[in-house]
Amino acid sequence: MYEFDYVRPTTLQEAQDLVGEDKKLLAGGQTYMPTLRQRLAMPELLIDLNAIPVLHGICEADDRISIGAMTRHAEVASDGLVRSKIPGLASMAGGIGDPAVRHRGTLGGSLANNDPSACYPAAVLALNAVVHTSKRSIEAKDFFQGLFTTALDEDEIISHVTFPSVPCAYLKFKQPASGFALAGVFACKLDDGFRLAVTGAGQEGVFRWQQAEAALNNDASFGDFKSLALEPDMIEDVHADADYRSNLVRVAAGRVVAQLREQLA
Amino acid sequence: MKISLKINGQDLTAEVAPTTLLVDFLRSDQGLTGTHLGCDTSQCGACMVLVNGDAVKSCTLLAVQLDGAEVTTIEGLSDGETLSPVQEAFREAHGLQCGFCTPGMVVSVTDLLAKNPNPSESEIRHWLEGNICRCTGYQNIVKAAQMAAEKQQAA
Amino acid sequence: MNQISKPEIANPLGRALEHDSAGQHVTGQALYCDDIREPAGCLHAAMGLGPAFPARIVAMDLDAVRQAPGVVAVFTAADIPGENNAGSVVHDEPLLASDQTSYAQQPLFVVAAETRDQARRAARLAKFEAEERPAAVTYDQIVERDEHVMPTLEVVTGDAEAALAKAQHKLEGRIEIGGQEHMYLEGQIALALPSPDGLRVVSSTQHPTEVQEMLGHLLELSSAEITVEVRRMGGAFGGKESQAAHTAMMATLAAYHTGRPVKLRLDRDDDMVTTGKRHDFRVDYRLGYDDSGRVYAGTFDLAARCGHSADLSAAVCDRAVFHSDNAYFIPEHRITSHRYRSNTVSNTAYRGFGGPQGMVAIERAMDQIAARLGKDPLDVRLENLYGRHGDIAPYGMQVKERVLEPLIRQLEVSADYRQRRAEIEAANQSAGRYRRGIALTPVKFGISFTISFLNQAGALLNIYKDGSILINHGGTEMGQGLYLKVAQVVAHQFGVPLDMVKISATRTDKVPNTSPTAASSGTDLNGAAALAACKTLKQRLTRFLQQKFETDALPLFKDGRVLIGFHHMSYAEMARAAWFARIPLSATGHFATPGIGWDAKTGKGRPFFYFAHGAAVSEVEIDTLTGANRVVRADLLHDVGQSINPAIDLGQIEGAYIQGMGWLTMEQLVFNDKGQLLTHAPSTYKIPTATDRPDVLNITLYDNKNPEATVHRSKAVGEPPFMLAISVHSALAHAISGLGGPGYWPDLDAPATAEEVLRCLDAANAAAV
Repeated sequence: MYEFDYVRPTTLQEAQDLVGEDKKLLAGGQTYMPTLRQRLAMPELLIDLNAIPVLHGICEADDRISIGAMTRHAEVASDGLVRSKIPGLASMAGGIGDPAVRHRGTLGGSLANNDPSACYPAAVLALNAVVHTSKRSIEAKDFFQGLFTTALDEDEIISHVTFPSVPCAYLKFKQPASGFALAGVFACKLDDGFRLAVTGAGQEGVFRWQQAEAALNNDASFGDFKSLALEPDMIEDVHADADYRSNLVRVAAGRVVAQLREQLA
Repeated sequence: MKISLKINGQDLTAEVAPTTLLVDFLRSDQGLTGTHLGCDTSQCGACMVLVNGDAVKSCTLLAVQLDGAEVTTIEGLSDGETLSPVQEAFREAHGLQCGFCTPGMVVSVTDLLAKNPNPSESEIRHWLEGNICRCTGYQNIVKAAQMAAEKQQAA
Repeated sequence: MNQISKPEIANPLGRALEHDSAGQHVTGQALYCDDIREPAGCLHAAMGLGPAFPARIVAMDLDAVRQAPGVVAVFTAADIPGENNAGSVVHDEPLLASDQTSYAQQPLFVVAAETRDQARRAARLAKFEAEERPAAVTYDQIVERDEHVMPTLEVVTGDAEAALAKAQHKLEGRIEIGGQEHMYLEGQIALALPSPDGLRVVSSTQHPTEVQEMLGHLLELSSAEITVEVRRMGGAFGGKESQAAHTAMMATLAAYHTGRPVKLRLDRDDDMVTTGKRHDFRVDYRLGYDDSGRVYAGTFDLAARCGHSADLSAAVCDRAVFHSDNAYFIPEHRITSHRYRSNTVSNTAYRGFGGPQGMVAIERAMDQIAARLGKDPLDVRLENLYGRHGDIAPYGMQVKERVLEPLIRQLEVSADYRQRRAEIEAANQSAGRYRRGIALTPVKFGISFTISFLNQAGALLNIYKDGSILINHGGTEMGQGLYLKVAQVVAHQFGVPLDMVKISATRTDKVPNTSPTAASSGTDLNGAAALAACKTLKQRLTRFLQQKFETDALPLFKDGRVLIGFHHMSYAEMARAAWFARIPLSATGHFATPGIGWDAKTGKGRPFFYFAHGAAVSEVEIDTLTGANRVVRADLLHDVGQSINPAIDLGQIEGAYIQGMGWLTMEQLVFNDKGQLLTHAPSTYKIPTATDRPDVLNITLYDNKNPEATVHRSKAVGEPPFMLAISVHSALAHAISGLGGPGYWPDLDAPATAEEVLRCLDAANAAAV
């Protein structure tokens, strides 16, 4: 690792005052620590968010579920409220990495990183969750802006995310070695219709599969995802070529929509 | 930087550089070499320890983050000569070969049984996703976890 | 912490005892190389890697490396006082490349710094001026370039071409079989400890003697000036047979020049990029057979991608030749093995040592013949087993033991193979998304180093005045329980409980001139050497006891006592009395496997002392939409002769099968067109985890005794069961085959990843139309 200084504030304001260029935030560290170890990042200062109580926890407010940015995957997976109100989100969080990763990894860290193979972006985008930061509130549709890119400013800190309580489901085919998504599909039905967000597969990062949504909105029993156009170019890498990935997206969509239908029924 | 923490039940204050990983702090500074370094990429689980009761990969945490925390390493699981039920089970069920992954496995199973005292075989297998063993076929590791659950329930 | 001692167990031979270090492992007390407390002044080394392509190095600027914080010294090829060679058989591989590199990221220099982090940081600061050299990476490229690291071997029996021309039916095929990363959990590591009294090196190696020799050549020191030591390895699987020397040499080079202790622990990425893997093979085969499925003739052309240097490739490829028949008699046969040079890291030993690659092709061919004839593949396999129509292998050795047919018959019944196959075939007729497949494949694996002179071992046995016994031998412990098995043998010889016998770390100054712990031979060789030492001491003690008690009777060592004539005494009393009587209580033992030898020029001989056998039934399920696949159930029946320790042997079988399953189904090495490894970490290279284990895994030891006079009539177990996993590959092909119509068999390569299975599913569907 390159040298850096470290600070662990206990209030969001302290963190806010420190953060800036080369002064980076450390959440769960499950991606950032390996990045630091490989010398792929060179912060001057590391601001550890783990001791800020306000960033932790899950509660219900105004029919929405609010999850603190530093809430661990394991907490989301086992939380009774999330399990009953947003079941797809709980099961998604329970499938990230392995138990040790879930003990440390956080919602906010995952969103701020916006890894194209991470699970959380699919859930947040499909559910049109709202990302609340130290500065403002950002709708999911405006939050994700391509590979490892978000609407966040350099000095902006995610405080919590609010989700609607709706039936939903998630399924991913894992890249077998890392457990990240080769193709993951999150499906739900909001007031304006079906929504399917895809992670792990698109070259531009997480995206909504609009053709699939339109087909479902047209006919709720639609199931022939094989025949639908899949818009963005798919990722090609050592783990799978583009054709194989698009096939996985279609298969995952079919299965996840079937799960969603069971919940809706 | 100065940190105060509890390691294996003992209070401790130490001076560490911000870049020191927990695993290096444990192995080099504290001489607790039972926590192993297997992969350098946060995958293998040989370095697992308990932090405030949760199994975590000590190669993916900074020592400075542990200020105020309680850490239990493999060395802290037995009480002198008395092995914990999980340790006993790994011995009796032949749940090891080269032994390099064993401390991480034992720590991981210890955490599992604390949270889920009577896990199914499938739950055990999924829990161990983050612990790689290259020698065994996990057969006796899973058996050891089951045996440990029985031992804990009987105790 | 308290040391947990071995249990007091009388009559330990043949018992399922826990690993001798189990108590240490579960408490974290067991010391690996990296756990040894570093001596004062210990430096840490790191490798400096070359460009990401094979290159001519025009200029190398190491100033920034030298000036980096904490750096004490930087060493290049020019700093090697002796020979710059890391090639164990052929001296064709520089430890540090200088004017050119042969593969991407080949090491060019070594940095020694005060801390490991400083060394690793500095190693990245080198600047090169380099010209790219052409890279031959794929089979087509290496075959076209046609450079060989070792000469081609051809083994011929009869006139294969003539017999093929006459054959009722002919089959031709090609299979590509991928390599495999060892992924030992403890990476390559060495600690070099220089002193005026000589050099001591702790190395995680399967072959301390070779490390010692290589260090001698590197530094122009005699072997007597160097001691290499290894107490245990955190896994090895062949990856620390020849290639552990590289790490030890780099650490020692730095120690030699600085005069300070130096530790080198390779980063996992560096380890994966710079150390060899299982050889990948492409096999072209032809077989001639009749309506009954009996094979009359064959040709096998084995193309191995060896990497940039020879390493152990000759012996690996020889073993592939010796196992390309697996268990089947082929009367007229030609087997040709080409050892191609490629611009990739030098492939090396890996559990099975070429044998698995040889076998995969013939097993595919057996399945294809059965499919074409509409038979159960098991019947074709049985029809061709050695002993049915002949028993001379293509290399001239008689296959005497008739174990496989009864073993297969037993497994066929215990695993309910026929019934399950019928049910699966019926279910597949109307299968939707999921299809199943099942296969029973046998293994016949030759035991002995095919390099005959390696089949020797030494041991040192000390009895102390208090009766305690120390046994030291040349074998190394990597988790396989060798130390325990040898201790069981020695305890049995003296009729003492196991905790009276202590085994100490393997060291070249205790037992010299050892062979690698490899080829599954650890117990056969070192156990026999220990027995020889026991025999010498027992003879001395017998003479002493006979004189003392004035009798001709022979003593009986049992239950911690010695009985002779009407006299008896405790074993410990005897030891003290013998010492008083000035009987030497230390002896060496040596063993050389009798009766073996093979001539590469004629392609004939007896390369093996005996064969180990086994068979497995694997049932798999595939998801036809994604190609995802898993093993549902596996039944393994394996011949370890008369087991010295059934718990250890069962563990070896289980681990080998799962490792083989990983190799054939999920472990995929990907190189780019420059030969750079892209899957260089466990985050990109998948090995089996707990969820990949079959739902049902039944493992049984076959009731047998080795007809050869091995230790306790046992058989070697490290490698043979690895190949039981070929049944998984075969079962996957079976699951796909039904889609292609009658007689169809898919060209499933290895590894059968989900993507590869899906490719074959598509091809099968296309073939059916």
